[in-house]
Amino acid sequence: MRMRFGLLAAMLVAAAVTCVTALAGAQAAPGVSKTKFVIGGTFPLSGPAAYYAPIPVGMKAYFTYINTRRGADHKRGVAGRQIVWKYYDDGYNPANTAQQTRKLVEEDKVFATFGALGTEPQQAVVDYMNDRKVPQLLVSTGATEFGARYREKPYSMGWQPDYFAEGKIYGKYAAQNWPTKKIAVLYQNDDYGKNYLDGLRSGLGAKDSNIITTQGFGATDASVAQQVVAARQSGAQVVAIFGTPSPTVKTFATMKAVRYKPEQVILNSVSANDYVMGLALANSDATTLDGTISTSYLLNSNDPKYASNAFVKLYKAQMAKWAPNADAKNTFFYYGFAKAYDVVKLLQATGKNPTRAKLLNAARHMNWTNPGALKGVKVTTSATDPFPISQVKLIKYDGNAKIWNELGSLINGRGGT
Amino acid sequence: MITRRFVAGLVATLVAAAVILVLPLFLSDTHEYRFAFVATFFIAALGLQILTGYAGLISLGQSGFMLIGAYTTTILSVDHGWHELATIPLAGLLAGIAGFLFGFPALRLRGAYLALATFAIPIAVIALAKKYSDFTGGGGGKNLTRVLTGHEAYVLTWPIAGLMFVLAWLLLLGKLGRSFRTIRESEIAAVSSGVNLTVTKTLAFGISAFFAGVGGSLYAIVIGFVNPDTFSINLSLLLLIGVVVGGLGSLVGVVFGALFIEYVPLYAPDILSWAEKPFGSPLDPQRAGAGAAVYGFSLLLVLFLAPYGVAGLLRRAYKSLAPSSYTH
Repeated sequence: MRMRFGLLAAMLVAAAVTCVTALAGAQAAPGVSKTKFVIGGTFPLSGPAAYYAPIPVGMKAYFTYINTRRGADHKRGVAGRQIVWKYYDDGYNPANTAQQTRKLVEEDKVFATFGALGTEPQQAVVDYMNDRKVPQLLVSTGATEFGARYREKPYSMGWQPDYFAEGKIYGKYAAQNWPTKKIAVLYQNDDYGKNYLDGLRSGLGAKDSNIITTQGFGATDASVAQQVVAARQSGAQVVAIFGTPSPTVKTFATMKAVRYKPEQVILNSVSANDYVMGLALANSDATTLDGTISTSYLLNSNDPKYASNAFVKLYKAQMAKWAPNADAKNTFFYYGFAKAYDVVKLLQATGKNPTRAKLLNAARHMNWTNPGALKGVKVTTSATDPFPISQVKLIKYDGNAKIWNELGSLINGRGGT
Repeated sequence: MITRRFVAGLVATLVAAAVILVLPLFLSDTHEYRFAFVATFFIAALGLQILTGYAGLISLGQSGFMLIGAYTTTILSVDHGWHELATIPLAGLLAGIAGFLFGFPALRLRGAYLALATFAIPIAVIALAKKYSDFTGGGGGKNLTRVLTGHEAYVLTWPIAGLMFVLAWLLLLGKLGRSFRTIRESEIAAVSSGVNLTVTKTLAFGISAFFAGVGGSLYAIVIGFVNPDTFSINLSLLLLIGVVVGGLGSLVGVVFGALFIEYVPLYAPDILSWAEKPFGSPLDPQRAGAGAAVYGFSLLLVLFLAPYGVAGLLRRAYKSLAPSSYTH
C-alpha cells in the first residue's frame, strides 16, 4: 500500500512537471525572447568549399541593417526583436556539421537554422533537426531532396531552384540550340553533381545520346586533368561543368593547360558568379569562357543596369558600412544578403508570440517577391510545394566586360523528379 | 616486469578511466557528444600508435580503414537491418583484413616511401565508395537509422574505447610488442634475433587497421551519416598529428592526442577572438583559414614545448617530482 502511494505521488509529481514544462514551452520558443531572435547556421569558412564563406557575412550585413533601422512599426529589428546571427565553420565536413549544429541547437538554443550550407553536410543533420523539431530552413543547396522529402522531413526546406530542374533547363537549351553537337559532362561525383547530370539528361530527352562522355571528379580532388583530357579526346564541342567553385576554376585552368577549346561551355549556377569567373579568367582563355551559359534567379549586383536598383544600392551601402573589408563585388555576399531578406520575412510572419510551429507554417505559405531576385521571380510555397524559388533566367558570360548578362525571359524551372 | 614505468602507466590509466567515468556528470549533452568523437579518434589513433609508435611504420592510410569500418556498419544496419552494435566486430575485422593485405606490398617500402604509399589507401577506398554507389550510396552518402543524443554517444563509445585500450595494452605486453619495438629500432637486428619481418609487419598493419575499423564504425554511428569525403587524407593526417601530440610510443598519451584533434580546431576561432582582445590581432576570427592558422600555431607550440608529446611531458614532470627514481 505504501508502495502504491509512493507510485501515485511520483506520478502526480511527474504530471505536474510535465504541465509546467508544457506551459513554459507554450510561452516562449527556444531562441526567442522579448528582445531577441537567436538564429544560426553552419558554413564552410575553411576547406574545399571555402569560396562560399562570404554567404553568412552577406546575411549578417542584412541582419545588422534590420537591427539598426526603424521598420514600418517604428521599431528596430523584427518587431522590436534584435536578430542574433550565429554561424560556425564546418569545413564542408559532415562530422563537423553534426557537432556545430548541436552546438547551435543545444548551447546557443537557436530558434532555427537558416541558409546552412552544403548538400552532404546538411543531409547529415536532417534527421537530427527533424528529431529535435528544429526548423532547418532555406538551406543553401539545391539538392532536390530537401524539398521532395517534405512529408517525412517537414522541418527541412531549401530555397533556390533545385539542381535537377536547373540541369533540365540546360538540356532543353542544348537540344534546341545545338541539336547536333556532342556534349562532355564534367561533374562532381556526389549527389549534387549527379542531380545536375540527371536533369541534363531529362532535358535533352531524345537528344540524350549527344552526351558522349561523363567524367566525375571529387570536390576535394587536387587535379581534374584526367577528366578534362578525357573530354578533349572525346571531341565534344560542348562542355558542361557541374562543380563547386574550386573544381570549376581548376577545370578552366586545365582546359587552357591542355589546349582544349570547346565551342560552348555550360556552367552550373552555384559557380556562375563574377568573382569565380574572374579567377577562372585569370587562369584560362577569355575565348573559352566567353559565351558560357548558366542560369540565375538573383539579379547581378555588378551589372551596370542595376546600378540604380534600390536593393542593390542598399546592398552596397550596408556592405560598406558593416563589412568594409569585404569585396562586395563578390556576389556570394549578395546571395547571402538577398537570402537574409527572406529570413526576415519569415521571422516577421511568426507574429507576436513566435513559435517554431508558426515559423514552419510561414515557411509553407511564402508568397512575396524578393527585391534581390530577378524581376518577376516569385517566392512561393504551399503545403504541397516546399520549393520557394522556381523561376530562373539563362545568363551568358561576357569575357570582355567580365560580367554575366541575362539572356531571354524567365523560365519556370521546377521540373520535379 | 613490474617496473616503475609500468606502475606509472597503470596509475595514469586508472586516473584516466576514473575521469572518463565521472565526466558525464559534469558535461552538457553537446560536450558529451564531442567526447564521443574523442573516443572514436582515440580508438583509431591507438591503432596508429601501434603501427607508428611501436612498429615504426608511418601510415597515412588510417582514414581509409576507418571508411571501411564506417561503411560496413552503415550498410549492414541500414540495408540489412543489423543492430549497429553487432556490426562493430565485423567492421573491425573487415578493415583488419584489408590492412593485413595492404601489409604485403608495404613490406617493400621503408620510412617516407611507405608513408607515401599509404597515402593511396584513402584515395583508393574513397574512389571505390563513390564508384559503387548502388552499394554505398555514392558520393552523396547515407544516413544511419537513428540519431544519438550526446549522452547515448558517450555511453556507447567510451566503454568500447576502454576495451580497445586494454586490447592494445595486452597485445603489446608480450612477444608481439617486443617484436614491434625491435623492428622499429633495427630490422637487421630483428631478423637476426629471429623476428619474422613479413609476419610482424603485416600483423602490425592488420591490427592497426582493425582499430581503425572499429573507430570508423563508431564514427559513423555517432555522426549518423557517412559520405566518402569525410574520410579524406586530412583525417589520416589529423590522426598522425594526434599520435605525435600524444607522444610516440605511449598508449595513454593517445587520449591527449585525441582531445587535441577534436577540440583545438573546434575552438580555434574562439582562441583567436580571445587572443584578439589584448593583442589586437588583425585576423578576423570568422575569416576563412583563421582557424587553421591557430591550429597550426598550437601544433608548433606543442611540438616545441613537448617534443615527445604530452606523454613525454608527463614523464618529465613525474621524474622531476620523484627524483629518487634514478637512484633505484
